Amino acid sequence: MAVDPKFKGHSYGPYRYEVGLEKIREFAVAISSAALPYEAARHSPRQLRPIYHDLETGKASRHGSVVAPPTFCVNFAMAPFLEAVVDPQLSIDLPMLLHGEQTFEFFDVVRPGDVMTTSGVITDIYERAQKDFIIVVSESKNQTGKLVVRGTWTAVVRR
Amino acid sequence: MAGRTPVVLERECDRYRPIYYAAASGDFNPIHLDKEVAQAVGLPGNILHGMCTMAWAAEVAVDALGGDPGDLKTLQVRFSRPVKIDDRITFSAELGTDEANPGRLQIKALNQEGQEVLKNAWATGPAAEAR
Repeated sequence: MAVDPKFKGHSYGPYRYEVGLEKIREFAVAISSAALPYEAARHSPRQLRPIYHDLETGKASRHGSVVAPPTFCVNFAMAPFLEAVVDPQLSIDLPMLLHGEQTFEFFDVVRPGDVMTTSGVITDIYERAQKDFIIVVSESKNQTGKLVVRGTWTAVVRR
Repeated sequence: MAGRTPVVLERECDRYRPIYYAAASGDFNPIHLDKEVAQAVGLPGNILHGMCTMAWAAEVAVDALGGDPGDLKTLQVRFSRPVKIDDRITFSAELGTDEANPGRLQIKALNQEGQEVLKNAWATGPAAEAR
């Protein structure tokens, strides 16, 4: 069953997320090929970029702090997309859903202690080659109201 | 900034990588964690989160931009093929030759069989923005 295009324009959020140092470290290990725990992985700079976990490196950088890996933003920016695809009104068969495409525009880094607020909207729904495409655009701002990341999330639902 | 010599990064999807990534990202979709659920919907087995592959692509882009994650301004990918358990992905980033988009980094991501797991993958840094 096709996803009804009438849900175009549906918005989700706002969602609030507080960024923690240990969560950034956990994410940095997960996106390496190193094994957990962090204490075992932290000595391999080829796996784990020091600015993602080392306080001294962060302090000495132009950012003045540890910063999150760019796609750490999934932890907050994905919320509208996740809520849209499980929205019972859209009746998407979740195991048939694949993440088709993704774009991020980054306007600032994310630091431990930042408080992020994310909202999102379904900007398009269409059908192509027996598949449904659902596009969600998210915008995440930090505690100063600055736009930090805009995400364009494309879900593909197979039939 | 990367020149015409590609910057390369290797990453392996070991057996537990999707579990680590699920916990770190909050995405617990069972197709990433449960072989039986994945096979029931026609996948070869549980597959890595596309967003983890994209995180790896971001790393090679940051390397190519000189190592400061704050220099990554745009990142786009299309997920063209699932990353399976034990896949080894070789990422590369180099300045593209697209006249319309000078400064754009082209990203390639090939599995151990030479198949592209990402298509239309590219990134920009501050240099491209300033033009």
